[in-house]
Amino acid sequence: MEPISPVTVLYNAPHQIPFQLPISQYFYFTGLSAGSFVISVIAVLGGKVEYKPLGKIGAILAPLCLILAPMNLLVDMTQPARFWHLMTYLPGYVNWKSPITYGVILLSTYPISATIYAYFVYAGNQKYAKIFAILGIPLAISVHGYTGFILALGKGRALWNTALMPTLFIVSAMVSGIALMIIMAILRNVFFMKDATEEEREKDATLIHGLGGFLGAAIITDLFLIFNAVLVILTSSKEAFEAAHLLLWGKFALEFVGIEIVLGGLIPLFIVFYPKTKSSFKWLSFASVLTMVGIFAMRFTVVVGGQSVPLH
Amino acid sequence: MSNDVEEPAGGEKKRRVRYGMLVDLRRCVGCQSCSVACKSENEVPLGKFRTWVKVVEKGRYPDVSRHFLPSFCNNCEKPICNRNCPVKATYVRDDGIVMVNMHRCIGCMYCMASCPYDVRYINPLRKIVQKCHWCAHRLDAGLLPACVETCLGRALIFGDINDPNSEISQLLATNPVVTLKPELGTQPHVFYIGADADTMDPTRGVDIDHVHFHEPY
Ligand code: SF4
Ligand code: SF4
Repeated sequence: MEPISPVTVLYNAPHQIPFQLPISQYFYFTGLSAGSFVISVIAVLGGKVEYKPLGKIGAILAPLCLILAPMNLLVDMTQPARFWHLMTYLPGYVNWKSPITYGVILLSTYPISATIYAYFVYAGNQKYAKIFAILGIPLAISVHGYTGFILALGKGRALWNTALMPTLFIVSAMVSGIALMIIMAILRNVFFMKDATEEEREKDATLIHGLGGFLGAAIITDLFLIFNAVLVILTSSKEAFEAAHLLLWGKFALEFVGIEIVLGGLIPLFIVFYPKTKSSFKWLSFASVLTMVGIFAMRFTVVVGGQSVPLH
Repeated sequence: MSNDVEEPAGGEKKRRVRYGMLVDLRRCVGCQSCSVACKSENEVPLGKFRTWVKVVEKGRYPDVSRHFLPSFCNNCEKPICNRNCPVKATYVRDDGIVMVNMHRCIGCMYCMASCPYDVRYINPLRKIVQKCHWCAHRLDAGLLPACVETCLGRALIFGDINDPNSEISQLLATNPVVTLKPELGTQPHVFYIGADADTMDPTRGVDIDHVHFHEPY
Protein backbone atom coordinates (compact mmCIF):
# COMPACT_ATOMS: atom_id res chain seq x y z
CA MET A 1 0.00 0.00 0.00
CA GLU A 2 1.49 3.31 -1.01
CA PRO A 3 0.92 6.28 1.28
CA ILE A 4 -1.08 9.19 -0.11
CA SER A 5 1.93 11.46 -0.14
CA PRO A 6 5.18 9.49 -0.37
CA VAL A 7 7.94 10.82 1.87
CA THR A 8 11.58 9.88 1.36
CA VAL A 9 14.42 10.82 3.66
CA LEU A 10 17.31 11.65 1.35
CA TYR A 11 19.86 12.51 3.99
CA ASN A 12 20.04 12.19 7.74
CA ALA A 13 22.76 11.39 10.25
CA PRO A 14 21.62 8.94 12.93
CA HIS A 15 24.32 8.48 15.54
CA GLN A 16 25.33 5.16 17.02
CA ILE A 17 23.02 3.16 19.29
CA PRO A 18 24.56 3.91 22.69
CA PHE A 19 23.54 0.92 24.84
CA GLN A 20 24.50 -2.38 23.23
CA LEU A 21 25.15 -5.96 24.30
CA PRO A 22 27.29 -5.18 27.40
CA ILE A 23 24.47 -3.19 28.99
CA SER A 24 22.01 -6.00 28.24
CA GLN A 25 24.40 -8.45 29.87
CA TYR A 26 24.77 -6.15 32.86
CA PHE A 27 21.01 -6.09 33.36
CA TYR A 28 20.93 -9.85 32.94
CA PHE A 29 23.53 -10.57 35.59
CA THR A 30 22.12 -8.14 38.18
CA GLY A 31 18.77 -9.81 37.54
CA LEU A 32 20.21 -13.28 38.15
CA SER A 33 21.87 -12.06 41.31
CA ALA A 34 18.76 -10.40 42.72
CA GLY A 35 16.59 -13.38 41.80
CA SER A 36 18.79 -16.02 43.38
CA PHE A 37 19.30 -13.88 46.48
CA VAL A 38 15.58 -13.57 47.06
CA ILE A 39 15.01 -17.32 46.65
CA SER A 40 17.90 -18.03 49.00
CA VAL A 41 16.42 -15.68 51.59
CA ILE A 42 12.99 -17.28 51.29
CA ALA A 43 14.67 -20.63 51.94
CA VAL A 44 16.63 -19.37 54.95
CA LEU A 45 13.72 -17.55 56.52
CA GLY A 46 11.44 -20.53 55.83
CA GLY A 47 13.57 -22.26 58.42
CA LYS A 48 12.91 -25.90 57.45
CA VAL A 49 15.94 -28.19 57.30
CA GLU A 50 15.23 -29.43 53.80
CA TYR A 51 15.25 -25.85 52.45
CA LYS A 52 18.85 -25.39 53.56
CA PRO A 53 20.61 -26.46 50.38
CA LEU A 54 18.60 -23.88 48.39
CA GLY A 55 19.65 -21.16 50.79
CA LYS A 56 23.28 -22.14 50.29
CA ILE A 57 23.13 -22.28 46.49
CA GLY A 58 21.44 -18.90 46.25
CA ALA A 59 23.80 -17.34 48.76
CA ILE A 60 26.80 -18.20 46.61
CA LEU A 61 25.20 -17.35 43.26
CA ALA A 62 24.12 -13.86 44.31
CA PRO A 63 27.55 -12.30 44.96
CA LEU A 64 29.07 -14.29 42.08
CA CYS A 65 26.66 -12.84 39.50
CA LEU A 66 27.13 -9.43 41.00
CA ILE A 67 30.87 -9.56 40.44
CA LEU A 68 30.27 -10.38 36.77
CA ALA A 69 27.68 -7.64 36.31
CA PRO A 70 29.71 -4.42 36.71
CA MET A 71 32.50 -5.86 34.54
CA ASN A 72 30.16 -5.30 31.62
CA LEU A 73 29.82 -1.66 32.58
CA LEU A 74 33.58 -1.20 32.68
CA VAL A 75 33.92 -2.76 29.25
CA ASP A 76 31.18 -0.52 27.90
CA MET A 77 32.48 2.81 29.22
CA THR A 78 34.66 4.68 26.78
CA GLN A 79 36.78 5.97 29.69
CA PRO A 80 36.98 2.95 32.01
CA ALA A 81 39.91 4.42 33.94
CA ARG A 82 37.60 7.21 35.11
CA PHE A 83 35.16 4.86 36.85
CA TRP A 84 36.17 6.42 40.16
CA HIS A 85 34.44 9.63 39.10
CA LEU A 86 31.27 7.76 39.99
CA MET A 87 32.44 6.91 43.47
CA THR A 88 33.65 10.14 45.04
CA TYR A 89 30.25 10.63 46.72
CA LEU A 90 30.97 14.36 46.88
CA PRO A 91 27.93 16.55 46.25
CA GLY A 92 29.66 18.78 43.71
CA TYR A 93 30.97 15.85 41.71
CA VAL A 94 28.19 13.32 41.78
CA ASN A 95 24.71 13.94 40.43
CA TRP A 96 22.30 12.53 43.00
CA LYS A 97 19.41 12.83 40.57
CA SER A 98 20.86 10.31 38.12
CA PRO A 99 19.64 6.69 38.34
CA ILE A 100 23.23 5.62 37.67
CA THR A 101 24.18 7.22 40.98
CA TYR A 102 21.49 5.23 42.80
CA GLY A 103 23.08 2.23 41.12
CA VAL A 104 26.59 3.11 42.27
CA ILE A 105 25.43 3.23 45.89
CA LEU A 106 23.54 -0.06 45.54
CA LEU A 107 26.38 -1.75 43.69
CA SER A 108 28.79 -0.79 46.45
CA THR A 109 26.59 -1.93 49.37
CA TYR A 110 24.68 -4.93 48.06
CA PRO A 111 27.67 -7.19 47.18
CA ILE A 112 29.15 -6.59 50.63
CA SER A 113 25.92 -7.43 52.41
CA ALA A 114 25.38 -10.43 50.12
CA THR A 115 28.88 -11.74 50.83
CA ILE A 116 28.46 -11.38 54.60
CA TYR A 117 25.12 -13.15 54.26
CA ALA A 118 26.73 -15.99 52.30
CA TYR A 119 29.40 -16.31 55.00
CA PHE A 120 26.84 -16.71 57.78
CA VAL A 121 24.74 -19.14 55.73
CA TYR A 122 27.77 -21.37 55.18
CA ALA A 123 28.98 -20.96 58.76
CA GLY A 124 25.56 -22.21 59.81
CA ASN A 125 24.92 -19.15 61.95
CA GLN A 126 21.13 -18.99 61.59
CA LYS A 127 20.63 -15.84 63.63
CA TYR A 128 23.03 -13.59 61.71
CA ALA A 129 22.12 -15.18 58.39
CA LYS A 130 18.52 -14.15 59.04
CA ILE A 131 19.51 -10.59 59.96
CA PHE A 132 21.54 -10.16 56.79
CA ALA A 133 18.81 -11.86 54.79
CA ILE A 134 16.30 -9.25 55.90
CA LEU A 135 18.81 -6.43 55.34
CA GLY A 136 19.65 -7.76 51.91
CA ILE A 137 16.11 -8.10 50.53
CA PRO A 138 15.45 -4.39 49.91
CA LEU A 139 18.99 -4.02 48.55
CA ALA A 140 18.59 -6.97 46.18
CA ILE A 141 15.24 -5.72 44.94
CA SER A 142 16.54 -2.18 44.43
CA VAL A 143 19.75 -3.28 42.75
CA HIS A 144 17.64 -4.67 40.01
CA GLY A 145 14.74 -2.24 40.25
CA TYR A 146 17.02 0.74 39.68
CA THR A 147 18.11 -0.64 36.32
CA GLY A 148 14.45 -0.30 35.36
CA PHE A 149 14.68 3.37 36.33
CA ILE A 150 17.74 3.82 34.12
CA LEU A 151 15.59 2.89 31.16
CA ALA A 152 12.37 4.52 32.37
CA LEU A 153 14.06 7.91 32.75
CA GLY A 154 15.51 7.77 29.25
CA LYS A 155 12.46 9.66 28.16
CA GLY A 156 13.35 9.94 24.51
CA ARG A 157 12.77 6.22 24.00
CA ALA A 158 9.09 5.37 23.83
CA LEU A 159 9.62 1.71 24.71
CA TRP A 160 11.49 2.55 27.92
CA ASN A 161 9.59 5.52 29.21
CA THR A 162 6.99 3.65 31.25
CA ALA A 163 6.41 3.31 34.97
CA LEU A 164 6.07 -0.43 34.41
CA MET A 165 9.78 -0.80 33.68
CA PRO A 166 11.18 -1.26 37.24
CA THR A 167 8.45 -3.78 38.15
CA LEU A 168 8.91 -5.65 34.91
CA PHE A 169 12.63 -5.85 35.57
CA ILE A 170 12.18 -7.11 39.12
CA VAL A 171 9.72 -9.79 38.03
CA SER A 172 11.92 -10.96 35.17
CA ALA A 173 14.83 -11.05 37.63
CA MET A 174 12.82 -13.46 39.76
CA VAL A 175 12.08 -15.61 36.71
CA SER A 176 15.72 -15.94 35.69
CA GLY A 177 16.90 -16.29 39.29
CA ILE A 178 14.51 -19.17 39.99
CA ALA A 179 15.49 -20.85 36.72
CA LEU A 180 19.17 -20.66 37.62
CA MET A 181 18.42 -22.06 41.09
CA ILE A 182 16.52 -24.99 39.58
CA ILE A 183 19.44 -25.86 37.33
CA MET A 184 21.90 -25.68 40.21
CA ALA A 185 19.64 -27.68 42.53
CA ILE A 186 19.17 -30.40 39.90
CA LEU A 187 22.93 -30.58 39.29
CA ARG A 188 23.45 -30.96 43.02
CA ASN A 189 20.80 -33.62 43.29
CA VAL A 190 22.17 -35.66 40.37
CA PHE A 191 25.91 -35.36 40.94
CA PHE A 192 26.54 -34.53 44.59
CA MET A 193 23.99 -36.62 46.45
CA LYS A 194 25.34 -40.07 45.54
CA ASP A 195 25.76 -41.18 49.14
CA ALA A 196 22.55 -39.64 50.48
CA THR A 197 19.72 -41.86 51.64
CA GLU A 198 16.74 -42.52 49.45
CA GLU A 199 14.56 -40.42 51.75
CA GLU A 200 16.85 -37.39 51.54
CA ARG A 201 16.90 -37.50 47.78
CA GLU A 202 13.14 -37.80 47.76
CA LYS A 203 12.84 -34.66 49.90
CA ASP A 204 15.28 -32.80 47.69
CA ALA A 205 13.27 -33.75 44.60
CA THR A 206 10.02 -32.45 46.14
CA LEU A 207 11.82 -29.20 46.86
CA ILE A 208 12.94 -28.85 43.26
CA HIS A 209 9.44 -29.53 42.01
CA GLY A 210 8.22 -26.84 44.38
CA LEU A 211 10.66 -24.44 42.72
CA GLY A 212 9.15 -25.47 39.38
CA GLY A 213 5.78 -24.22 40.62
CA PHE A 214 7.40 -20.97 41.71
CA LEU A 215 8.92 -20.62 38.27
CA GLY A 216 5.53 -21.06 36.65
CA ALA A 217 3.97 -18.37 38.85
CA ALA A 218 6.81 -15.95 38.09
CA ILE A 219 6.54 -16.57 34.34
CA ILE A 220 2.79 -15.91 34.43
CA THR A 221 3.35 -12.58 36.22
CA ASP A 222 6.08 -11.69 33.76
CA LEU A 223 3.97 -12.50 30.71
CA PHE A 224 1.08 -10.52 32.18
CA LEU A 225 3.29 -7.43 32.61
CA ILE A 226 4.68 -7.79 29.08
CA PHE A 227 1.13 -8.08 27.77
CA ASN A 228 0.21 -4.84 29.56
CA ALA A 229 3.24 -3.02 28.22
CA VAL A 230 2.67 -4.18 24.65
CA LEU A 231 -1.04 -3.35 24.69
CA VAL A 232 -0.27 0.19 25.82
CA ILE A 233 2.59 0.92 23.43
CA LEU A 234 0.44 -0.33 20.54
CA THR A 235 -2.03 2.45 21.18
CA SER A 236 0.02 5.38 22.52
CA SER A 237 2.41 7.67 20.61
CA LYS A 238 3.69 7.09 17.11
CA GLU A 239 7.20 6.26 18.29
CA ALA A 240 5.71 3.77 20.73
CA PHE A 241 3.79 2.14 17.92
CA GLU A 242 6.95 1.88 15.84
CA ALA A 243 8.68 0.25 18.81
CA ALA A 244 5.81 -2.22 19.07
CA HIS A 245 6.15 -2.87 15.36
CA LEU A 246 9.86 -3.64 15.76
CA LEU A 247 9.16 -6.11 18.56
CA LEU A 248 6.03 -7.80 17.27
CA TRP A 249 6.55 -8.20 13.55
CA GLY A 250 9.66 -6.20 12.68
CA LYS A 251 13.38 -6.51 13.14
CA PHE A 252 13.21 -7.92 16.69
CA ALA A 253 10.27 -10.28 16.19
CA LEU A 254 12.47 -13.37 16.36
CA GLU A 255 14.06 -12.29 19.64
CA PHE A 256 10.87 -10.96 21.20
CA VAL A 257 8.02 -13.17 20.03
CA GLY A 258 10.06 -16.23 19.12
CA ILE A 259 12.62 -16.47 21.91
CA GLU A 260 11.25 -14.35 24.75
CA ILE A 261 7.54 -15.11 24.60
CA VAL A 262 7.30 -18.59 23.05
CA LEU A 263 10.61 -20.31 23.84
CA GLY A 264 11.27 -18.53 27.14
CA GLY A 265 7.70 -18.13 28.34
CA LEU A 266 4.95 -20.33 26.95
CA ILE A 267 6.92 -23.55 26.46
CA PRO A 268 8.49 -23.55 29.97
CA LEU A 269 5.09 -22.65 31.39
CA PHE A 270 3.62 -25.72 29.73
CA ILE A 271 6.46 -27.90 30.98
CA VAL A 272 6.21 -26.85 34.63
CA PHE A 273 2.45 -27.36 34.75
CA TYR A 274 1.88 -30.39 32.50
CA PRO A 275 1.67 -33.42 34.83
CA LYS A 276 3.81 -35.69 32.65
CA THR A 277 6.71 -33.27 32.36
CA LYS A 278 6.64 -31.35 35.62
CA SER A 279 8.03 -34.20 37.72
CA SER A 280 10.91 -35.01 35.38
CA PHE A 281 14.29 -33.47 36.12
CA LYS A 282 15.20 -33.52 32.44
CA TRP A 283 12.16 -31.52 31.41
CA LEU A 284 12.49 -29.18 34.34
CA SER A 285 16.10 -28.34 33.56
CA PHE A 286 15.17 -27.92 29.88
CA ALA A 287 12.44 -25.48 30.88
CA SER A 288 14.88 -23.57 33.10
CA VAL A 289 17.48 -23.24 30.36
CA LEU A 290 14.81 -22.01 27.95
CA THR A 291 13.63 -19.48 30.52
CA MET A 292 17.12 -18.13 31.06
CA VAL A 293 17.64 -17.74 27.33
CA GLY A 294 14.25 -16.06 27.10
CA ILE A 295 15.07 -13.53 29.80
CA PHE A 296 18.34 -12.71 28.08
CA ALA A 297 16.39 -12.10 24.88
CA MET A 298 14.11 -9.83 26.91
CA ARG A 299 17.04 -7.72 28.14
CA PHE A 300 18.39 -7.48 24.62
CA THR A 301 15.13 -6.53 22.94
CA VAL A 302 14.28 -3.95 25.57
CA VAL A 303 17.72 -2.35 25.52
CA VAL A 304 18.65 -2.47 21.84
CA GLY A 305 15.13 -2.65 20.39
CA GLY A 306 14.15 0.38 22.45
CA GLN A 307 16.90 2.38 20.79
CA SER A 308 16.21 1.18 17.27
CA VAL A 309 13.46 3.68 16.63
CA PRO A 310 15.10 6.70 14.96
CA LEU A 311 14.87 9.88 17.01
CA HIS A 312 15.51 12.50 14.44
CA MET B 1 16.70 27.28 36.38
CA SER B 2 14.02 29.91 36.56
CA ASN B 3 16.26 32.79 37.62
CA ASP B 4 15.18 34.91 34.67
CA VAL B 5 15.72 38.07 36.63
CA GLU B 6 18.60 38.32 39.02
CA GLU B 7 19.73 41.09 41.30
CA PRO B 8 23.25 42.30 40.50
CA ALA B 9 25.40 44.09 43.05
CA GLY B 10 24.29 47.51 41.78
CA GLY B 11 20.69 46.87 42.87
CA GLU B 12 19.43 47.44 39.33
CA LYS B 13 17.55 44.52 37.77
CA LYS B 14 19.67 42.79 35.17
CA ARG B 15 18.23 40.30 32.77
CA ARG B 16 19.73 36.84 32.47
CA VAL B 17 21.13 36.17 29.02
CA ARG B 18 19.42 33.13 27.50
CA TYR B 19 20.65 32.15 24.09
CA GLY B 20 18.40 30.67 21.47
CA MET B 21 18.59 29.70 17.82
CA LEU B 22 15.95 30.40 15.21
CA VAL B 23 15.96 28.54 11.91
CA ASP B 24 13.99 30.34 9.21
CA LEU B 25 13.35 27.50 6.79
CA ARG B 26 11.93 29.85 4.16
CA ARG B 27 15.52 30.97 3.68
CA CYS B 28 17.29 27.58 3.92
CA VAL B 29 18.52 26.13 0.63
CA GLY B 30 19.89 22.90 2.09
CA CYS B 31 23.50 23.63 1.14
CA GLN B 32 24.97 21.92 4.24
CA SER B 33 27.37 24.84 4.81
CA CYS B 34 26.47 24.82 8.49
CA SER B 35 27.45 21.13 8.76
CA VAL B 36 30.79 21.82 7.13
CA ALA B 37 31.52 24.97 9.14
CA CYS B 38 30.74 23.09 12.34
CA LYS B 39 32.95 20.17 11.38
CA SER B 40 35.85 22.47 10.73
CA GLU B 41 35.33 24.74 13.73
CA ASN B 42 34.86 21.95 16.26
CA GLU B 43 37.07 19.26 14.74
CA VAL B 44 34.16 16.85 14.55
CA PRO B 45 35.51 13.42 13.56
CA LEU B 46 34.62 11.53 10.43
CA GLY B 47 31.12 10.09 10.45
CA LYS B 48 29.92 12.23 13.38
CA PHE B 49 27.93 15.43 13.26
CA ARG B 50 27.09 18.16 15.71
CA THR B 51 25.06 19.93 13.08
CA TRP B 52 23.53 18.42 10.01
CA VAL B 53 20.69 19.14 7.63
CA LYS B 54 18.09 16.42 7.25
CA VAL B 55 16.77 16.39 3.69
CA VAL B 56 13.34 15.04 2.79
CA GLU B 57 11.54 14.77 -0.52
CA LYS B 58 7.81 14.30 -0.76
CA GLY B 59 4.92 14.17 -3.12
CA ARG B 60 4.42 12.60 -6.54
CA TYR B 61 5.34 14.26 -9.83
CA PRO B 62 4.40 16.97 -10.65
CA ASP B 63 3.38 17.90 -7.08
CA VAL B 64 6.68 17.51 -5.30
CA SER B 65 8.75 19.43 -2.80
CA ARG B 66 11.99 19.11 -0.90
CA HIS B 67 12.36 20.08 2.74
CA PHE B 68 15.31 20.72 5.02
CA LEU B 69 15.76 20.48 8.75
CA PRO B 70 19.03 21.92 10.06
CA SER B 71 19.62 20.06 13.32
CA PHE B 72 21.49 21.18 16.43
CA CYS B 73 21.53 20.37 20.09
CA ASN B 74 18.43 22.13 21.37
CA ASN B 75 20.25 23.27 24.51
CA CYS B 76 17.04 22.49 26.33
CA GLU B 77 15.81 24.47 29.32
CA LYS B 78 15.08 21.14 31.06
CA PRO B 79 17.80 18.94 29.56
CA ILE B 80 17.22 15.28 30.37
CA CYS B 81 20.86 14.61 29.46
CA ASN B 82 21.92 16.86 32.33
CA ARG B 83 19.54 15.24 34.78
CA ASN B 84 20.82 11.79 33.93
CA CYS B 85 24.59 12.35 33.73
CA PRO B 86 25.89 10.63 36.87
CA VAL B 87 29.15 12.55 37.27
CA LYS B 88 28.08 16.09 36.38
CA ALA B 89 30.16 15.98 33.23
CA THR B 90 27.14 17.50 31.54
CA TYR B 91 26.32 20.86 33.08
CA VAL B 92 24.31 23.95 32.20
CA ARG B 93 25.79 27.41 31.85
CA ASP B 94 23.92 30.46 33.11
CA ASP B 95 23.13 31.43 29.53
CA GLY B 96 21.36 28.11 29.03
CA ILE B 97 24.03 26.31 27.03
CA VAL B 98 24.40 22.65 27.95
CA MET B 99 28.08 21.70 28.08
CA VAL B 100 30.08 18.48 28.43
CA ASN B 101 33.21 18.68 30.58
CA MET B 102 35.65 16.52 28.64
CA HIS B 103 37.78 15.85 31.70
CA ARG B 104 34.90 14.44 33.72
CA CYS B 105 32.94 12.45 31.13
CA ILE B 106 33.29 8.71 31.78
CA GLY B 107 31.64 7.70 28.54
CA CYS B 108 28.75 5.80 30.07
CA MET B 109 26.60 7.04 27.16
CA TYR B 110 23.55 7.45 29.35
CA CYS B 111 23.10 10.99 28.05
CA MET B 112 23.08 9.67 24.48
CA ALA B 113 20.46 7.12 25.42
CA SER B 114 18.33 9.76 27.15
CA CYS B 115 18.46 12.66 24.71
CA PRO B 116 15.26 12.60 22.64
CA TYR B 117 16.93 14.30 19.67
CA ASP B 118 19.94 12.06 18.95
CA VAL B 119 22.41 14.94 18.90
CA ARG B 120 25.19 13.44 21.02
CA TYR B 121 27.99 11.24 19.77
CA ILE B 122 31.14 9.53 21.04
CA ASN B 123 34.28 11.14 19.75
CA PRO B 124 36.33 8.10 18.68
CA LEU B 125 39.61 9.96 19.20
CA ARG B 126 38.98 11.58 22.55
CA LYS B 127 36.68 8.79 23.71
CA ILE B 128 34.15 11.06 25.37
CA VAL B 129 30.71 12.35 24.50
CA GLN B 130 30.44 15.59 22.56
CA LYS B 131 27.64 17.64 21.08
CA CYS B 132 26.74 21.05 19.69
CA HIS B 133 27.20 23.81 22.28
CA TRP B 134 26.44 26.70 19.99
CA CYS B 135 30.17 27.35 19.79
CA ALA B 136 30.31 28.54 23.39
CA HIS B 137 34.01 29.32 22.96
CA ARG B 138 33.20 31.70 20.11
CA LEU B 139 30.32 33.32 22.00
CA ASP B 140 32.69 33.99 24.90
CA ALA B 141 35.03 35.71 22.44
CA GLY B 142 32.20 37.86 21.14
CA LEU B 143 31.68 35.92 17.90
CA LEU B 144 28.64 34.13 16.52
CA PRO B 145 28.47 30.32 16.20
CA ALA B 146 30.32 29.10 13.10
CA CYS B 147 27.16 27.78 11.44
CA VAL B 148 25.35 31.10 11.91
CA GLU B 149 28.31 33.01 10.57
CA THR B 150 28.52 30.85 7.47
CA CYS B 151 24.84 30.42 6.59
CA LEU B 152 24.54 31.96 3.14
CA GLY B 153 20.78 32.42 3.16
CA ARG B 154 20.85 33.96 6.65
CA ALA B 155 18.45 31.23 7.69
CA LEU B 156 20.09 30.87 11.12
CA ILE B 157 19.41 33.66 13.58
CA PHE B 158 21.14 33.44 16.93
CA GLY B 159 20.90 35.65 19.97
CA ASP B 160 19.63 36.42 23.44
CA ILE B 161 15.94 35.58 23.64
CA ASN B 162 15.62 37.51 26.90
CA ASP B 163 16.64 40.76 25.22
CA PRO B 164 13.49 42.23 23.64
CA ASN B 165 15.57 44.23 21.16
CA SER B 166 17.48 41.30 19.70
CA GLU B 167 16.63 40.15 16.20
CA ILE B 168 15.74 36.67 17.42
CA SER B 169 13.29 37.97 20.04
CA GLN B 170 11.57 40.14 17.47
CA LEU B 171 11.30 37.28 14.99
CA LEU B 172 10.07 34.88 17.68
CA ALA B 173 7.43 37.42 18.67
CA THR B 174 6.13 38.04 15.16
CA ASN B 175 6.25 34.60 13.53
CA PRO B 176 4.62 31.22 14.06
CA VAL B 177 7.42 29.03 15.42
CA VAL B 178 7.67 25.37 16.39
CA THR B 179 10.19 23.23 18.23
CA LEU B 180 10.99 19.54 17.94
CA LYS B 181 9.04 17.19 20.24
CA PRO B 182 7.62 19.89 22.55
CA GLU B 183 5.48 17.18 24.19
CA LEU B 184 8.53 15.79 26.00
CA GLY B 185 8.84 18.87 28.17
CA THR B 186 12.54 19.39 27.54
CA GLN B 187 11.77 22.94 26.34
CA PRO B 188 14.06 22.99 23.31
CA HIS B 189 15.63 26.34 22.41
CA VAL B 190 16.06 25.80 18.69
CA PHE B 191 12.98 27.26 17.01
CA TYR B 192 11.85 26.72 13.45
CA ILE B 193 9.80 28.90 11.11
CA GLY B 194 8.12 26.98 8.30
CA ALA B 195 9.18 23.49 9.36
CA ASP B 196 7.45 20.60 7.64
CA ALA B 197 5.66 18.09 9.85
CA ASP B 198 6.76 15.12 7.75
CA THR B 199 10.37 16.23 8.02
CA MET B 200 10.17 16.76 11.77
CA ASP B 201 8.65 13.30 12.26
CA PRO B 202 11.57 10.89 12.85
CA THR B 203 9.61 7.86 11.73
CA ARG B 204 8.29 9.25 8.44
CA GLY B 205 9.96 8.22 5.22
CA VAL B 206 12.25 5.61 6.76
CA ASP B 207 12.01 1.85 6.67
CA ILE B 208 12.00 1.30 10.40
CA ASP B 209 13.45 -2.20 10.09
CA HIS B 210 16.44 -1.03 8.10
CA VAL B 211 17.58 2.21 9.68
CA HIS B 212 21.30 2.54 9.22
CA PHE B 213 22.65 3.73 12.55
CA HIS B 214 26.26 4.74 12.77
CA GLU B 215 28.53 1.89 13.83
CA PRO B 216 29.66 1.98 17.46
CA TYR B 217 32.94 3.86 17.47
S1 SF4 C 1 18.90 18.35 22.74
FE1 SF4 C 1 19.53 16.51 23.86
S2 SF4 C 1 21.70 16.84 24.31
FE2 SF4 C 1 20.84 18.84 23.77
S3 SF4 C 1 20.23 19.73 25.77
FE3 SF4 C 1 18.40 18.72 24.92
S4 SF4 C 1 18.44 16.67 25.85
FE4 SF4 C 1 20.51 17.54 26.10
S1 SF4 D 1 28.67 9.80 28.70
FE1 SF4 D 1 29.71 11.48 29.81
S2 SF4 D 1 28.36 13.26 29.61
FE2 SF4 D 1 27.17 11.44 29.04
S3 SF4 D 1 26.10 10.82 30.92
FE3 SF4 D 1 28.02 9.63 30.84
S4 SF4 D 1 29.50 10.88 31.96
FE4 SF4 D 1 27.77 12.24 31.50
